[in-house]
Amino acid sequence: MNRSLMSVLLCVTLISGGIWTSAFSQNASHTNGTLPAANVRISLPRKEGSLRFAVIGDTGTGSKQQYQLGQLMALSREQFPFEFVLLLGDNMYGGETPKDFEQKFSEVYKPLLDAKVKFFATLGNHDLAVQANYANFNMDGKEYYRFKRGNVAFYSLNSNYMDQKQIKWLESELAADTSEWKICFFHHPPYSSAKKHGSHDSLRDVVEPIFVKYGVNVVLTGHDHVYERIKPQKGIYYFVSGAGGKLRSGDIDAKSPLTDRAFDKDMHFMLFEVVGNQLYFQAISRTGETVDTGVIANRRAKK
Amino acid sequence: MKHTIKTALRLTISIYVGVIWALVASANAQSVSEKQAVKMFESEVQEYVKLRNRVRENVPKLPKEATPEQIHTFMMAFQDATRAARSGAKPGEIFKPAVSEAIRATLKNHFRGDDRVELRKTIFEAENKSIPLKVNYPYPTSKEYTEMPPKLLLELPQLPKEVRYRFVGRNMLLMDRENNLIVDYMVNALP
Repeated sequence: MNRSLMSVLLCVTLISGGIWTSAFSQNASHTNGTLPAANVRISLPRKEGSLRFAVIGDTGTGSKQQYQLGQLMALSREQFPFEFVLLLGDNMYGGETPKDFEQKFSEVYKPLLDAKVKFFATLGNHDLAVQANYANFNMDGKEYYRFKRGNVAFYSLNSNYMDQKQIKWLESELAADTSEWKICFFHHPPYSSAKKHGSHDSLRDVVEPIFVKYGVNVVLTGHDHVYERIKPQKGIYYFVSGAGGKLRSGDIDAKSPLTDRAFDKDMHFMLFEVVGNQLYFQAISRTGETVDTGVIANRRAKK
Repeated sequence: MKHTIKTALRLTISIYVGVIWALVASANAQSVSEKQAVKMFESEVQEYVKLRNRVRENVPKLPKEATPEQIHTFMMAFQDATRAARSGAKPGEIFKPAVSEAIRATLKNHFRGDDRVELRKTIFEAENKSIPLKVNYPYPTSKEYTEMPPKLLLELPQLPKEVRYRFVGRNMLLMDRENNLIVDYMVNALP
């Protein structure tokens, strides 16, 4: 009896596993690689009327792994329909011909682009300035820009070249901004425990006082090819999410006092949901594992 | 005895005043010549910007919502037309010796500060040292660009939006933001 039950269970497991593998193989067949047998468990609340978006950084390799992560993002959207994606820079490594745009971006995220999901990009140290004119990056020809969704204002900054003009623009925009949530995203991390690059002190010295003064809540960056959630600094939540196309395995300094949570074993992307004065987040690895999840409260925002 | 002490004191004070005056005068003279050098540099940069803007008017337009093909066509046409318009350009035409010295002094001063370790790491870790320094040639798109330290940018002569500074190893480049051409460069800019 027990043996029969075991056999039935084994069959069900194998059949369901086969269905998963088959479905993934079909999806992957045109996208340059076989996907790992991954499922995504969304831990976000999925409240009605909430703002939902995804975040991914350092993507533009065109590698098999980038395609796999792109597929996983599309899969996660079936359960968690996010409206747009923030790209954290290094959108195109090693060349920017029309073919590169296709192989390293539009083909990778085709299911999302086909579903009218918008991408909002920022420039990394591998990106030409003219990427700001690429229609699918929604930068409107600008290297730094602001857009708003609901009660959340998003600021894309160019951390490659934080000059006087950009600093003045940022200050004047933030000073006039009455949004309940202010989220900045750019490439170089003001705080990072990665050994390769680490914290960008010079950038931090210039932008952090502005963020603090004008109530920026969250800062999203890439550059280091790892995931890291930094312990809140001066009331601001900093994330490093730079492993969307490249991974620097074992790069996190385990002794760093900055880290709240870090992951450097595989590539990842992030999902966010804003529900009134709560911002929920989840970081998901290429194999579908939740590597971090949590909620940030905003005292300024209405419940 | 009293008279001798008074005379010695007067003499010492005169010497001190003289030395201080000479130092102030020298500093002022230096700052005047630096200001002139920077002004000259800014005017040379403006000349380049005027030229490249004239060139830009005659290449295929780049829409704000462009396709990769439109971006590529624009870049290539803009590069070719600018290179033709500046075919005789030589290194040091914009980074003239006087402004180069002023910039070197700024960099030297900046790299003495607390941030010097991080600044050097940022600049020297970039995988771009092998790029050929050639005026009027494109910076290879396969190579990364060094992030410019923001505090340093505030100290350097301000540039119009069309051009920007960039480090390649110890050398400083003046780059065109859109056509990705090396407008000029100065070698051994960093201490």
